[in-house]
Amino acid sequence: MADFIRNPVVALPDPNPESHFSEEELIFTEDEKARIAGWVSQYPTSDGAVMWTLWLAQEKFGFLPPEVLQLVAVELSLPYAQVYGVATFYTQYFKEKKGTFVLDVCTCFSCQFCGGYDILAYLEEKLEVKRGHTSACGRYTLQEAECLGACGSAPMMQVNNGPYAHNLTPEKIDELLEAMEAGKPLPFVSVTLPQDEDEMGGNRRTDAEAVEGYITPPRSERTQ
Amino acid sequence: MTKAGNWQSYERVLLPPVENLHHLDVYRGHGGYETLKRVLEELEPQEVTAQMKRSGLRGRGGAGFPTGLKWSFMPPVKPDVPRYLCCNADESEPGTFKDRQLMEYNPHLLFEGILIACYAMSLNACYLYVRGEYASWITHLEEELAKMYDANLVGENMLGTGHCMDIILHKGAGAYICGEETSLMESLEGKRAYPRIKPPFPAQSGIWGYPTTINNVETLACAPLILGKGADWYAGIGAEKNPGPLLYGISGHVNRPGVYEYPTGMLITDLLEIAGGMRGNKKLKALVPGGASVPVLRADMIEGVTMDVESLREAGSMLGTAGMLFLDEDTDMVAFLRRVAHFYHHESCGQCTPCREGTGWMENLITRIDDGEGNLRDLDLLLDLCDQMEGRTVCALADAAAWPVRNTIQRFREDFERRCRPAVWAVNA
Repeated sequence: MADFIRNPVVALPDPNPESHFSEEELIFTEDEKARIAGWVSQYPTSDGAVMWTLWLAQEKFGFLPPEVLQLVAVELSLPYAQVYGVATFYTQYFKEKKGTFVLDVCTCFSCQFCGGYDILAYLEEKLEVKRGHTSACGRYTLQEAECLGACGSAPMMQVNNGPYAHNLTPEKIDELLEAMEAGKPLPFVSVTLPQDEDEMGGNRRTDAEAVEGYITPPRSERTQ
Repeated sequence: MTKAGNWQSYERVLLPPVENLHHLDVYRGHGGYETLKRVLEELEPQEVTAQMKRSGLRGRGGAGFPTGLKWSFMPPVKPDVPRYLCCNADESEPGTFKDRQLMEYNPHLLFEGILIACYAMSLNACYLYVRGEYASWITHLEEELAKMYDANLVGENMLGTGHCMDIILHKGAGAYICGEETSLMESLEGKRAYPRIKPPFPAQSGIWGYPTTINNVETLACAPLILGKGADWYAGIGAEKNPGPLLYGISGHVNRPGVYEYPTGMLITDLLEIAGGMRGNKKLKALVPGGASVPVLRADMIEGVTMDVESLREAGSMLGTAGMLFLDEDTDMVAFLRRVAHFYHHESCGQCTPCREGTGWMENLITRIDDGEGNLRDLDLLLDLCDQMEGRTVCALADAAAWPVRNTIQRFREDFERRCRPAVWAVNA
């Protein structure tokens, strides 16, 4: 046998990994099963529902270790390999345990030139965690994200794959973290269109908190 | 007089200034779904497609393919063969954020467009594929869709016309490649989103092998306008060969970034003025006119250039998604290109070797230059790498990665050379 098979350079995954959840925990409730059946009925085959079901599983279990993927595979009568393939392909499915708050800071080019990396550095310093890692207290995971589609209100970040926070400044981040620590859910924030401001005098949505889209010079510029 | 005509007095139609237009009752109060009802009752499906063709609408997702023509590619109806429409709301092109604003402020225009498209191509189901990052907007769309089912605007016997159409939301999970139409179909089928080889084109063999048409959000939102106000009205807006209203997503070093709705064919210089000019009165250095994949333009290349397919092609770039990034004189183009290369390396799906390996080498080489350890010959190596990647993969991601690298190096060569170590002969001399 070739040497690299006996002594692989990269550690192979444990063939019998320890489960993160007990057997009682590792089930879908009747209610959840009904939701999954609802998604399955929307596609010609049950394959189509795999992404929705993984989202549900991630919401329930927090992340997607092999035993959860197995549960999804059994529920949808799909091969484990296919569910594993999907879960590992997409970046928003978490394969390992994350912090209570996952902060995705956009650093793609629009945010890059409006101070996205300044924001990332500020968070690294404040939370004492390197990008791509979870803080020692287990509260925060800090990640660098690709374009999140809010270039007009750069720099921005997304919290827990949910709400967006726009036009970030160090002060605004302090406020956000305080609110998060106090357990307040982040509101849905609507960025005012410049033309709306001219023609309607503000944001058109009355059910959302409005922010102006254009107020933040990057930190490096402000400190000069 | 520019191609955009009298744009100062342009009245917005995609994002009209109406408060709470995203609510179903407000949208209906402003004549919403009237067009759909009229189309279902009075027009034949072929007539709808013919009107779309006459309007001259070109897809707004980046490739700019004529929409009416795309619709006409659907094969004749066979009773036992299902057919599908996919709405591509997987907007992940860096610098592009117009579809999100449309779904936030005027989602019913999109829904109405989807239903008109379903009728025109005689099909019963549309999958609306929204990127997973837009979780909040997916929740909003779900709420509005539920209201539509309650009001019998969609579903069995919709509007009492005997038609049955469904709109099904699909949530992505963060993969840029899903914006490519064939990989979007793979993703819908619950697989890893690897693009497929074309042909067969989606109209022949799409999701689950059935005939499928895929359109962008903004494209479908234009359908109710065309059918409601007439194809000739639509064709008369903006640039002649690429007409219609267009959502310009302006970002970067401008005073008022955001999404602006104006006719196509706007002068780039006018748009810069509309967006409040450059921040801190600095000079413009570079412009990315349509998302990360399109070639970057130098400031001296934009004089007299208008935002439409033809004019931008002549200028040496592309319209893409009309997500415009303005960069000022202090911008480090090497850092810019390094970030773009990082993006493509991260988002390459890994199916084809030239792209999977090539994007990685691009990032490594540009990182080396950015760190001050690059050699002059690295620039030519990068250009050579672009040649080796372009056109050698299943989808266009490799091309999209190669274009900005090639053009940024060619158009800003001095910036790159300054950061490289001098050539050996120069040291010896």
